[in-house]
Parts: sequence; structure tokens; C-alpha cells
Amino acid sequence: MKLYDYELSGNCYKVRLFLSILDLSFDTQTVDFYPGREHKSEALLRLNPLGQLPIFEDADKVLCGSDVILSHLAANYDKSGLWYSPKQRLDIDKWIRFADEITATASAARLHDTFFYDLDIATARAGAERLFRNLDEHLWFSEQRGYDWLVPTRVPTLADITCFPYVALSEEGGISRADYPAIRRWCDRIKRIHGFIPMPGIFSTSKAA
Amino acid sequence: MTQYCDDPVILNQWHPLSSFDEIVVGQMHSTVLLGCSISYQLTAQGSLSVWLCRDVNFSLPLKRAYGFLWTSLGTPPDEIFAVGELDETDRQNVATGVFGVNVSFGRAIENFLDMGHFPFVHTGILGEEPHTEVKEYDVDVSESRDEIMATRCRFYQPQASLASEGGADVDYVFRVPHINCALLYKSSPGYEAEGRMDVIYMFLQPMGPEWTRAHTGMCVIDSKNSYQGIRYFQQVIFGQDKSILENQFPKRLPLDSRAETPIRADKSAIAYRRWLTKKGLTYGVIPAI
Amino acid sequence: MASFQQFDVEYEMKVDLSQWHPIASSSDLPLRHVYQGQLWGRELAVWRADDGHINVWENRCLHRGVRLSIGLNEGSELRCLYHGWRYANRTAGCTYIPAHPADAPARTICNNTYQCVEAHGLVWSAIAPESSFEGQDVLEGLEPLALRPIPIAAPLHLVQKLAPDYPFGTLTHRDDTSLTLQYGQAKLQLFLQPVDAGKTIMRGLLVPPPVDSVAALLHHNATMTALRDEIELAATRLDPPTAIDVKFAPVAKGLARMPDIDNAGPEVELRAKVARKWQVAEQVMAFRLEALSGQFPTFQPGAHIDVNLPNGMSRQYSLTNGPGETDHYTIGVKHDIASRGGSTCLHDDVQEGDVLAISAPHNNFPLRRDAVKTILIAGGIGITPLLSMAKTLKAQELPFELHIFAQSKDDLAFPNILHNLGASTIPHTGLTPQATCDVIAGVLANYTPAQHVYICGPGAMLAATRELATKAAWPDEAVHFEYFKNTHKIEYNTTFEIALSRSALTLQVPAGKTILQVLRDNGIEAPSSCEQGACGTCLMTVIEGEPDHQDVYLSTTERAANQKIITCVSRSKSNRLVLDI
Repeated sequence: MKLYDYELSGNCYKVRLFLSILDLSFDTQTVDFYPGREHKSEALLRLNPLGQLPIFEDADKVLCGSDVILSHLAANYDKSGLWYSPKQRLDIDKWIRFADEITATASAARLHDTFFYDLDIATARAGAERLFRNLDEHLWFSEQRGYDWLVPTRVPTLADITCFPYVALSEEGGISRADYPAIRRWCDRIKRIHGFIPMPGIFSTSKAA
Repeated sequence: MTQYCDDPVILNQWHPLSSFDEIVVGQMHSTVLLGCSISYQLTAQGSLSVWLCRDVNFSLPLKRAYGFLWTSLGTPPDEIFAVGELDETDRQNVATGVFGVNVSFGRAIENFLDMGHFPFVHTGILGEEPHTEVKEYDVDVSESRDEIMATRCRFYQPQASLASEGGADVDYVFRVPHINCALLYKSSPGYEAEGRMDVIYMFLQPMGPEWTRAHTGMCVIDSKNSYQGIRYFQQVIFGQDKSILENQFPKRLPLDSRAETPIRADKSAIAYRRWLTKKGLTYGVIPAI
Repeated sequence: MASFQQFDVEYEMKVDLSQWHPIASSSDLPLRHVYQGQLWGRELAVWRADDGHINVWENRCLHRGVRLSIGLNEGSELRCLYHGWRYANRTAGCTYIPAHPADAPARTICNNTYQCVEAHGLVWSAIAPESSFEGQDVLEGLEPLALRPIPIAAPLHLVQKLAPDYPFGTLTHRDDTSLTLQYGQAKLQLFLQPVDAGKTIMRGLLVPPPVDSVAALLHHNATMTALRDEIELAATRLDPPTAIDVKFAPVAKGLARMPDIDNAGPEVELRAKVARKWQVAEQVMAFRLEALSGQFPTFQPGAHIDVNLPNGMSRQYSLTNGPGETDHYTIGVKHDIASRGGSTCLHDDVQEGDVLAISAPHNNFPLRRDAVKTILIAGGIGITPLLSMAKTLKAQELPFELHIFAQSKDDLAFPNILHNLGASTIPHTGLTPQATCDVIAGVLANYTPAQHVYICGPGAMLAATRELATKAAWPDEAVHFEYFKNTHKIEYNTTFEIALSRSALTLQVPAGKTILQVLRDNGIEAPSSCEQGACGTCLMTVIEGEPDHQDVYLSTTERAANQKIITCVSRSKSNRLVLDI
């Protein structure tokens, strides 16, 4: 298995994180996303015509996009069958779509502040705050009902993996999480999943009691 | 958009705007320096110009140095600080990326000079517990060259080089020849006997008093290996530091000795703060009482 | 609403720092988490230690100003993310600075703290309270249901004006920061927490707690959210408020200088109550001391305190406390029949409830936490400082071995603690001196760099162990020891001169007087503790001259270097010593 990866990309991190949790070995090809724009090179465009990362090769399959890669890994390598179980699939998919909205807002704000992308920062931030209010409310009530994760299950699912990175990186786009204590507690819980790995901008936390 | 700058100490300096790698020929680029919107362009004929956005006729002084375009909003000195290594012909000068960080340039410089955070922020790369000790090092503020040097710095690195099995102490030299520029010198792999060093640098563009654009790069001898690996590594290091820097308060560097608690490992930071106070800098800092 | 017209008028934010406000729900503080709070523009790092105590600290590490809310709550200590500095539960004192593992941080490195009370399912604090917290009478004795808190992007005065519109029964009470609404038997209290100039958090408590709590939580969440939206809309019609001016307090003068390695003694005499006295081994009594008022100062593993005994004597005892056990000091005292009477006094005369005068902790036997492996070797009652070290190493999951040498199993002190330390604790009982040496030689056999050994016990055992360590190629800096007693005969019969470089003073030290005594006779403040050359408190730096070392504190290397002197017993070989004071 081979991952075409950029260390600072939250979408690539989703795949790296899940691979670590599933304890799978794989090769990494680091792509000079910036400033080299290697993802737009001929070689990589042949693998992914959209010119985006992450790209994942497994045997003869070439998979593009974090959502696709994650569901492939869950379908083929998740011994527990609980990361993307058929029973929870509709609910998990709803959150995967929510994660896309987070990418469109919080990740965009981060691209603007860190990488100087030219976009409407006020709209991006306001959009992220609306989503975070929603997410905080959902997590708060989940806690009240005795659940630690986005989907009402005893264990985390792909819903949590997909929503986590750009939420945890939101401050790089000027979006503070001080108003969202339930989100902050959820982030700690994700950091305690066995096999959790950090990325630049997301640090490990202390061990659970 | 940001506060107006009226501090002559920083106005009368050269500041970096962009690496030439990132300037698209024929296209007008804009950025912000010390609260002012600035535009610059490189024509197909090779003519370079920099001007204030609000008035295309108000052109600014410009300089090309070390692969970057520099400008000034005041009366800068004739020359930019010298970096001998960057003139050597058998080297590659690689721009490793420009990043925004929401903090003053002074905080970013201090972070660049600091080793104590290596095991905690750059875990497994530049440092690792339990090897957390910052051994005594030397700091010299040169009046004649107007710069700060920290020498005899060493810190335990988990994988000192691609060849080595375990970790070892790595020697560093730090140099601050400009209010918002810093350089780090490390032994160049394969050239230790000759004493030749690789240079890692950070040229900061102060966009606002609490907002910085960091131009990073390195000047290395080894031309056989692809520099992409080193560039990647630089970006990871910067990404790890960014989230710490953006959580520091106050965002402006406090120059008063009673603002924060120094330890012996902070000698270079203390020297930097005193140096800025001596210059009378007020922009991006909280002056000493 | 007609009241919108009023909001064009300029409003000056009235800031009352003395008031108590709720800043979090109890459920916002699970274990091993740090909550980010804010009150009147001041950011707070709020964390619950494993012992249940809630800490409310200024959200800023005093080293380089990094937020403590991104730090790591390790249960008994909070660790800053930037350089790994560790701060103790309750005291907020720094217990370890990884960049300088051999030094004990100055006790005055202490983050700023705020008072805190947990009541009615909420956590309350005040920036500058003038009186102690008073619970809400109306909630006395009841377990209210804490509603989901709602942050509102609007200034306090606007929320104060519009909150009474909350659709729930009738308004029965109202003040600056709360209102009470009554609907039949149910009472809703809404508290308004002023976060900063443009933000307020509304926190609700419902009594009695309804049967279907989730339904009530959902209902009020929806209603408060609707009210929030209205208030935020009204806020957009106001001018943006001026931020509350918050100044960071300067650090203590002594901390602003580049520090030397500092081992200064205490300046404050503390009063401690003997909360508990119990037997922990044959001839060993343990004493749990608690502060009569306020908080005991921070200690580090290896620290000891001076205890003034009712019979007029003063004795030193090591603390056995582990990290974060900051609400008491526990010491172990072996009854030594041959002693001058100190241990007899503690065993026979001192009872639970008695009040003793004690010193703040001296940290002259600091623990490095950067070793690849730490070996602790205890002889008899020498176990006490090593227990503190072992607990610390265990809490941080750092590799260690604790070897305890005692006459019999009944002589192993603090058996409960030893049991909890688990497999890392290896007792050796009933061994002859030779057998003890053989075991120790085995323990020290495989020295590798970055291992450290700490030894505490009877003088003969310490001397033998140090010799064995040297034979096994342990470098001097890796061998740390503490003598409880100095059994060498001190020679007082020389005369010499001391020059004090910073005070420009020259003094004569006659036969029969120590350097320490002469300094004090001349009005120079010099800290001390054991006054027999064992503990290191009276250590001073020598600039010139050749000291005559009579102490048992300095290492072989330090004695050879002649740059330090233990002033309570040591003298001079040269005619003159120049001291750096």
C-alpha cells in the first residue's frame, strides 16, 4: 500500500491517522505540495486528474480523496467492523458530509491565514462558527446521553476521523474553540484513541486517568 | 487594515517581500508590510518594481539578495547583513516556503533561537525525552557588527543524521544580524572535517505588529540529494511551532525584564530583548517600563 | 421591540472584579482535561486534579506566556506544552524545568491563581474577591439541573436588559448578574457570566430537577438559543465595545534576573497541625502535617523541612509526598534511642492535634527526570526522600528501581506506598554489611550513560555505595546522595579570614566559631537547616582560597573544585577565603 502524502494537509492526515489506528504498514511518498506544486505534475495528474491529495494505491487500485480512501480501508482492513458499520452508515455519512462543510470553512480560513490563499476570510470564519455551534450542541447532548462520539456508539467511527482534523486546526484560521467546551473535550477523547498520531498543529494529550 | 507604523527603527530597515521562486513574471503581486499595502512586479523584460498600493507613482527602494526581493518604507542602510555562505558557488539556496503566523516577529525570532522546546514541540525530530537538558552556551552581542551570536550550543537529537543509529548531541550556532531575521548554522553532513556549515534561515516580513509573514529557506552544500526532503522537514518544524506561537500572550514581545521568567537556557532570548530595547524599537513589542 | 431605540446611547462597561461568577459547569471538568474559561477579559485555565481539587489559574505560563489551556493535565501536575515546565496541583508552583534537570526551580516560580468554589453543579470564581463565596440561598440543599451554557456575542449590559424576556413563568428576582424565574413549583436561575466586553455566557440552573431531564435540557437549550439569536441581532446595532484593559502582573524581582543555581532557605515560618500520627514500621512513626491556614508551599521530590519540636530542638525530615499531594506534608520519623532526644520527643510527646512550627521545604536533593533509568537505594529510614522520588517517577512512567535495605520485613516503612509502587520496589531484608555490598554492586553493575543513582541511608552504607559506584565506572555527576547526619568529628580549632566580595567586608573567623555563626554575628542573613554539614542549605560559592571541607553534602568533584563551601561546618586551609556574598 502506498500513500501520496503532504504532511501539513488535514485530509492526508485523516488517512495517516486511520492507517495508524488500524496498525497497517504502508509506504509513503511525500509530495512537494508547496511550493513545488507537485500534485499538479504530470505524474500525479495521471493518478488523480483532479490534481488533489491524498492519493492511495492498494494492489491494483488507485483511490483519490480522503473519504474514498477511508471507506476502502474500513471495508477491507477493519477487523472490528465498527468504524463504518452498515448499521451506522447513514448516520456516519451525514457526518462525513458535515466534515466536508468544515473543510470548506475552517480549512479555507486556515489556507488564508497560513498559506495566503486569496478568499473571503470573514465568510469562511462565520461559516465555521455556525458549524461549530452546531457540533458543540450535538456533542454536549451526546455526552448527556452517555456517548463519547459523534454517532451514538460505544466506539469512535469514521464520523469522528473525518470531522476531527480541521476542527482541531481551526485556530490556525483564527477560529477559537473557547466557546465550544464540548468540542474541546471530544478532541481530547480522540487523542486518546489507541494508535492516535499527531500532526503539525495537533499535539498529543496526557494519558487518561 | 492594521495600525500605522511610525517607528523609525523598523521603518529604516530592509524587509523581505517574496522569494523570487514565487514571483510570477508579468503578474502584479500585493502584500502588506508594516501595515502598508505594497505591490510588486517583475516584467518579462526583467524590470522589477515595488510601490505603495495606494499610489502607483510612489515607488519604494528595492534590493535582490539571497534569492529574495527586499524593500524598505524608510531610509535603509546601504547593504543588507552579509551571509558569506550564500555566496559560495557549490551550494544550493532553497526557499522552503512562506507562511503566515498570527504573532509578532519578535516572538517568532525567539522561538527560532530556542532549543528547550525541541523534545516537546518537535518530538522525535529535533529532540526527545528524557534528553531535555539545555547545556550552558555562550552569547555575544557584537557592537561593531550589530548582531547577536549564540555559540557552543548543543542539543541531543534523536537521529543525528541519516547515517547514525541512535541519537547524539548536535552543535548549533545561532545568529541574529537584523531585528527580524535569524540564521542557524549546523555542520554540513560529510563536511564536518572542513568545518563547513549548512545554513537555515528565517527572514520575517512584519505585516502588522502581531502578524508576520515568515520566509524560510536553507543554504546547503550537498547537491547530490534532493532538497525536497529537507524542505518538507522545514515545513513540518514550522507547522509545529506555529500553533505554539499563536498561543503566546501578549502577542507583542515584552521587553521588560519583569514581564516573564527567564532561565539560563534563555540567554539568547534575553540578549535579543535587551538589544531591541537598546535600539529603541517600539513596533511589535511592549517596550520596557 | 420598542426598547431597541435605547441602544443607540453610548454605554460604559461597568467592571466589578470583586463579584463571584460561575465560569464552568462541574461536568466541564472531566479528569485529565483543561477547560478554557474567561472572566472580565482574563483568560483562565481550569482543571480538576485526580484528587478532585479544582484549579483556576491565569491562562498563561509565566515562562514565555503560552496558554496553559493547551497544556497537559497529568492528574497531579499541569505541564506546559512549550518547554514541559510542570506545575503542581493547588499551589501552581513549578516543580520541574526540563531544560535544567539538575536544578530545583525557585519556589517563587508560581503561576497566578484565582479562588474557586464548586457549588450547585457549577464552578465559581472571582478575579479580585472582597468576600468569600456565598451560595445561593434559594438552592440550598437542592441538586439543581445544570442547563447547557450558552455563549452570547453581546455585552453584559445588553444581556441584562433582554434576559428577563426569557419565556418561563414570571420574574421573581433580579440583580446585576442573575435573575430568577418561577413557573409553578419550578424555579429557573439564570446567571450571566461577563466573559469580555463583547461576550456573555448564560448559565441556567433548574430546581427541582425535572423527572425527564433530557427533555428539559433540550427545551431550555432551544429556548436559550432563540434568545441568544435575538440578543446577538440587537448587539449588531451597537458600536463595537472597547475591550477590557487587562495588564499582566510583573514577575517577582528575584525571578527577573538570570538565576544562578539557587538553594536559598526559607524566609517564612509555617504553622502546621499534626492531622494524623500512625505507625508505619517497627520504631517508625509517620506524621501527616496540614497547614493551619492557607496553603503549604510547593515542594519537589527529595525536599526536606525543618521541624521545631516542643522540647526546643529543631530537626530535619524528608517529605514522602508524591506529585500533586500538595494539601499536606508527610514525614517518617525513626525512633533513635541513642539520639539527642528529637525522635523521642516526636514519638512520645507530640500528639494528633498539636501545632508545630515548620519551615518551607528545602530542595537540596533534587530529582532529575531526564535519566534513561533511575536507581534509588534506601537504607532504613533513608527511604523517606526516595519514596517521594519513586512516586514522581512512577507518575510520569519513567523507568526506575527502588532498592530498600532493612533489618526485617517489619522494618520496611510505609508498606502501603511500597505496595502501590509495585514491581519496581525490591526489598532486601536481614542482610549482613558484606551481603548488602554485594547486592548493591550487582545493582550498579551495568552503568550506561544517562543513568542516575540516588542514595539515602546510614553513613557507612552511603560511603560504601559511593565507593562501589565509582568502581563500577559511574561518573560523579550521576551519583546523588543525602546524608541525614554528619557523623564525622568537626574540627573547629583553626583561625582564618573571610572576605565577602559583594559586601566589601572582611571578617575574622576565630577558633570555636563557624563561618555561618560569624556571618550572622555581623548581621548578614544566611539560611541554614541542619547545621551539621549534611543538608546543603547553607552552601555558598567560593571565589578564592582553599576550603577545608568537613561536610557530607558536596560530591567528590565539588570538593576538588573548591568553588563551594558548606558554611556551618567547613573551614579554610588557606589564610583567607573569598565568598561570593
